[in-house]
Amino acid sequence: MDRWFLLASTLFAAVAGVRGLLVLRHGRKSHWTVWWMIVVMICQLGYLGTRGEMRGACPLRSIAEISIFLAWSLTLFYLLVGPAFRISLLGVFTAPAVALFQGFALLPGKLDPTPAKVLNTNFWGETHSATSVLAYGSLALAAVAGVMFLVLDRQLKEHHLKGGLFRNLPPVRELLVCLERLLWLGMVLLTVGVLAGILMPHHGEDAWKHVFAAIGVWTGYVALMGTKRVRGLTGRRFALGAVLLFVLSLGVFAFV
Amino acid sequence: MELVCLGLNHKTAPVEVRERFSVGTTRLGEASQNLLEMAGTPEGVVVSTCNRTEFYLAAEDSAEALRCLEISLADKVHGHEEPFYRHEKSEAARHLCKVVSGLDSMLLGETEIFGQVKQAYHAAHAAGTTGGMLNKLFQKAFSVGKKVRTQTAIQEGTTSIGNVAVELAEKIFGHLKDSEVMVLGAGEMSRLTAQALVSRGAKSIIVANRTHDKAVELATEMKGRAVRFDDWLDVLKDVDVVISSTGAPHTIIHSHEIESVRRARKFRPLFLIDIAVPRDIEHSAGEIEEVYLYDIDALEQLAEEAKSRRVKQIEECEKIIEAELVKLIR
Repeated sequence: MDRWFLLASTLFAAVAGVRGLLVLRHGRKSHWTVWWMIVVMICQLGYLGTRGEMRGACPLRSIAEISIFLAWSLTLFYLLVGPAFRISLLGVFTAPAVALFQGFALLPGKLDPTPAKVLNTNFWGETHSATSVLAYGSLALAAVAGVMFLVLDRQLKEHHLKGGLFRNLPPVRELLVCLERLLWLGMVLLTVGVLAGILMPHHGEDAWKHVFAAIGVWTGYVALMGTKRVRGLTGRRFALGAVLLFVLSLGVFAFV
Repeated sequence: MELVCLGLNHKTAPVEVRERFSVGTTRLGEASQNLLEMAGTPEGVVVSTCNRTEFYLAAEDSAEALRCLEISLADKVHGHEEPFYRHEKSEAARHLCKVVSGLDSMLLGETEIFGQVKQAYHAAHAAGTTGGMLNKLFQKAFSVGKKVRTQTAIQEGTTSIGNVAVELAEKIFGHLKDSEVMVLGAGEMSRLTAQALVSRGAKSIIVANRTHDKAVELATEMKGRAVRFDDWLDVLKDVDVVISSTGAPHTIIHSHEIESVRRARKFRPLFLIDIAVPRDIEHSAGEIEEVYLYDIDALEQLAEEAKSRRVKQIEECEKIIEAELVKLIR
């Protein structure tokens, strides 16, 4: 059942992305993206509920489950931020990312159809997993906003101002404000995640490697935000920093 | 009953003729009542804007109504070439739909005309000069106007340099209420562009000019403040938009000067509008990461592109109008 929910949600996300891009190509606003994303979210909740039942804990025990949880977190933050900031276009960029993360989990052999029940759960361990992945949802959405900024910045710099994409992208300043707020939110959640990670019981050397990697990523974000606040950063470097740090953190956790 | 329209506009009459026919918004109802007397018809609406005055009539005998109206208006066009155009029956309905959709406007696709025609119709309706035929016609024209604007790109893009600059400023800063603007040079182009930014809510205007008195004059007009020309660099760290249009034969703003205030500006976006010829701003300033530099050629090109995009939409708009007219006549 969990797989069906996941499949439906991935398909809806793909439809939202493709439809949004097609509407955009015709120079119109993608008013329906937010509704598609709500359907995606409902299916994701269906998956998380079923999978959580199977695990008897938060379903964050394999790379596929983490990837799906990240996609859910990305959708959640989009639904919180997108309509509030009137950045409906954020959905057009978010939907493909959600489809990609969930598509990865759907690859053969990635998602165990009969997951083992978790017998011993630990408060700090659960807090670490949940807040860290929520943080990455926020940071992923910040990276999406960063990509949107980089696209708009390039169009404005090179005077290529035709097309639906340019017309529908939110203003530079709004994107930068949205990017900064998402990074702050992600940072706060990540800080809680890292602290919980330090406090949770560690069995073996690999567990500490994981915590050190998390501290490394956290330090990267602190450096980015600190530089922006104290010295100031151009929009391009700030956005590029958010995108690179997110890609880097995904890479780190894929190997550690 | 037959529909008929007699009118004059910017294409058929010079301003000295148009102004004789112009009717203020508060007198539109009264003008419609006078129209009924002049033409001897049961229904009539007067539409009047700065570029056109049109008389819409529903008459038993359209030729007779037109003749009476033209006799009444003859004095006003004395000494000038024939300024009127006439449309009858479905042609009059088609014309009204085009007017409401902005297809007959001086600035193709402009939106103001929609409200002006609506105001004229409401005034006539309130004055009791409309009936079944004109009510149906105007209601249809408004729905066609809305359809044309929502289903085509006829109103997209701006077609004047000032408005292109405003649109770009809004694309960079969003609402301009938090944006400060500095104007270098107090000439006409600077004034027009600054005015466009102020009309969209720019927070404050700072004017610098070689002749300080002129700077003070423009600043007063814009409710801003003037600074000495030599002090413009000190102001640069606080502003978001710079409009430069001095008559200087050499570059005024150099890249190294912008570089010198980047840190103080905390690398915030800076929009530079160079509408001077020869150019005031060093071209390489546009290579600084947070700087968006647009010179007069770039702005003119954008305005031209918007115009040609609108022209390409005419056919699409006319298709909508024709389809809706078929429904109206049916």
